[in-house]
Amino acid sequence: MHAVRGPGRGVFWLALFIAVIALVAAGCGSSGDNNTSTSGNASTAAKSPTTAATPAAPLDTPDPQPAVAPRSGGSGTPIKLAIMSECKGAFGAFDNQNMAGAVSALSQFAGAKPKDPNNPRAGFTGGAIGDHPIKLVGVGCGDDSSDTAIKEVRRLMEQLDADVMVGPLSGDESIAVANYAKDHPDKTFVDGSAGAQDTTLKVQAPNFFRFNGDGAQWNAGLGDIAYNKLGWKTAAVVADDYSFAWTSAAGFIAEFCAAGGQVTKRVFPPLNTTDYSSYAQQMPTDVDGTFVAVGGAGLIPFLKAYEQAKGPIDAKKFMGNLFWGTPGQFEQLGPRVAGAYIGGAGTAGDLDTPAAQDYATNIIGKWFKSFKPGGDAASQAPSTFTYGYYLNTWGLIKGLEEVKGDISDQSKLQAALAKVELPAPYGTVKLDANRQAIFTVYDQQLYMNNGKLAVKTVSAIPNVDQTFGGTFSATTPAPGRNSPGCEKRDLPWLGKSTPVKVVGAS
Amino acid sequence: MSWTRRSRLTPDRVAGTVLVLLALFAPLIFSEYWVATLLTQMLFLGIVAASLIFLSAYGGMVSLAQTAIYGVAGFALGNLTTNGNTKGLNLGWAEFPGIVVALGVALIVALVFGALSSRSYGIYFLMITLVLSVIANLFFGQVTSVSGFGGISGIPIPEFLSRTAHPDRLYFATLAVALIVYVALRYVARTPFGLTLQGIRDDPVRMSSLGYNVTLHRMLAFTFAGFIAAIGGILFVWWNAQIAPSTIGLSATIDVLVIAVIGGLYRLEGAWLGALVFVVINNYAPDIGFISERFHTLIGVIFLVIVLVSPNGLIGLWERVTAGRRRAIPGDITQERGSAEPTPVG
Repeated sequence: MHAVRGPGRGVFWLALFIAVIALVAAGCGSSGDNNTSTSGNASTAAKSPTTAATPAAPLDTPDPQPAVAPRSGGSGTPIKLAIMSECKGAFGAFDNQNMAGAVSALSQFAGAKPKDPNNPRAGFTGGAIGDHPIKLVGVGCGDDSSDTAIKEVRRLMEQLDADVMVGPLSGDESIAVANYAKDHPDKTFVDGSAGAQDTTLKVQAPNFFRFNGDGAQWNAGLGDIAYNKLGWKTAAVVADDYSFAWTSAAGFIAEFCAAGGQVTKRVFPPLNTTDYSSYAQQMPTDVDGTFVAVGGAGLIPFLKAYEQAKGPIDAKKFMGNLFWGTPGQFEQLGPRVAGAYIGGAGTAGDLDTPAAQDYATNIIGKWFKSFKPGGDAASQAPSTFTYGYYLNTWGLIKGLEEVKGDISDQSKLQAALAKVELPAPYGTVKLDANRQAIFTVYDQQLYMNNGKLAVKTVSAIPNVDQTFGGTFSATTPAPGRNSPGCEKRDLPWLGKSTPVKVVGAS
Repeated sequence: MSWTRRSRLTPDRVAGTVLVLLALFAPLIFSEYWVATLLTQMLFLGIVAASLIFLSAYGGMVSLAQTAIYGVAGFALGNLTTNGNTKGLNLGWAEFPGIVVALGVALIVALVFGALSSRSYGIYFLMITLVLSVIANLFFGQVTSVSGFGGISGIPIPEFLSRTAHPDRLYFATLAVALIVYVALRYVARTPFGLTLQGIRDDPVRMSSLGYNVTLHRMLAFTFAGFIAAIGGILFVWWNAQIAPSTIGLSATIDVLVIAVIGGLYRLEGAWLGALVFVVINNYAPDIGFISERFHTLIGVIFLVIVLVSPNGLIGLWERVTAGRRRAIPGDITQERGSAEPTPVG
């Protein structure tokens, strides 16, 4: 054996040194992203008296969904379930919300029981469809990159041999997973909370189902409010430089331009940017308003960088996407954004319907007590992530019930899933031909409630579909830095949003 | 090396034959997951690590740009052969012309990288290749017309190699390519070019005085190694059907270096040995409760232990065992074998 020697030994040891430093850094970083927030009490599930500020909306209002009796199945072949969650990266803080949504749905509709009401990631016991027990074979840990997502999905579906999977959380992950699904027709996938448009509109995997909306759908109504209510004629857009945020921005741009507005500047900081100062400097101030689709761990650093660069934020000149109202995070935005309108995720925690309130208190709040990042479980029910994983898991359970838990032929399960309609807390969810949800979208506004930032739902648009009233199709360019363009056109819901009745708002 | 010496039954040859036989019969021994996922991954990662070991062992160049070139080939193939459902150019080419052009693009990039870095030695060479690697990563992360953050998904694999056609075919194809790469690298090391390269590794000034164009040789060696890494990149995207900027990020770059060091930076066989250890740990560590998120810490500890116990990696350990208890002294292997076997990185 040779010792390392000769003129190049310095290189060898330097290479070793760099590798060791990098490994240590990676090891330290891997568990440090999970602490975005402290406590929080969203405006949701408020117990204050009903204030019928506006007439009740003629929206569909499904009934509350009672829990099924606990069950653990019989001698049937177990249904091997995997959940692809997120524990690192920009959205790692929402891991518990994902898991709480999925486990609550399994507890409510498949007779399971959470192992720990304060730790959704601990999983569940029991649960069955007919004779077939549900077995959780693994929980994936994504980091918002498609690369890690595929690695984890391989582990879950191939090594642990799961039959069905719920997840992932984030846009580009879901595009990769939908493509993976296409190559594995003998497995069935339902989304978690990922909202990239391409996932269903372009990839169209026959065994990938999404009961949540995409980012553009979630922002239906915002462009209308900006142009017609706030009087914006020009706007700037800043969004993370990846598929979900492009889709989210596309929803605002398409509608704002359809109404007659002009988007004069688009800025795209990379996801996981930590210093937003150079991007904040690029933001124009000679526009009537700014739409912000910077999400996850980047939102607050971006707003702070903006304030440093351009001065205080005028909430009437800002709009945000779902991250401006995600329980567990939005509380930290502070009074600077009170008054801003925001897009939700088809969520409206303060909706004054039995099903909406029951979902928070008697479903999420029943199966879980408290978890990070927001603390109280019920207040995190209307989070995009809790709700997304809840809806998708529920959809999967309904599909499994249709085939009585027999998944020996998954094409039957897939055929059943395509027809599932969910009487969901915030309105019925059904799927289109690309297995993408059609549902009611709510527009919301931030306001100060007893010194705390809170979310108030202001209007609803029923039956928003992924094509955005024909704006998007499988053949139109995918949302990106330059698409969609800015064109005046007809949108079916322009000027037709419906007021809603909420609880707890002043 | 005479025929009689070559045909001797050395421990190396016995072990090599056993391992190749094991690899050939792997589908009969291991589960489908092991074969189609872990062993296939081991083989193509081994190819990439072998390209680094070739440069290091025979050229004295520890390159951190191998992952970048591997990624260039993967991204090029992705852009060329996808057809509309993903990011990138979506040119919709057939697989075969796609491979040829992707390898061509990677070759050109390797040539350019080689031209930029071949005048540098030691730490400067390492840093320049690291910079090139980071540039490649940022390029694909930022230029959305060819990739963007999410990368390219749904990259097609030739039908006859696909998992749906047969679960083991891609494994056997990768195994065949790995064996060809191994033989080719060993062959090149014994050609006049390879011998010159080793001379340059040991004393570039003397080689220059003898009339050899040192920079050109180093550049060509880098390009050749880049081509080998690019082959690994093609196999990777077929295996993964997807490539993203994070595939060639700093972490992945370091991973290849770790594989090479764990295996042994001075013998080609170490590449696949290191890759096997890396892939197995990478796969099973998340299932162990207290490790799960600390995979990099675990691999770092293993890395440190191996480096401290045997600076020449697992291959070094193997040689120590097969050479008896006698502690090897520098120059041992060359003397024992009396051949142009590589001397250490040096």
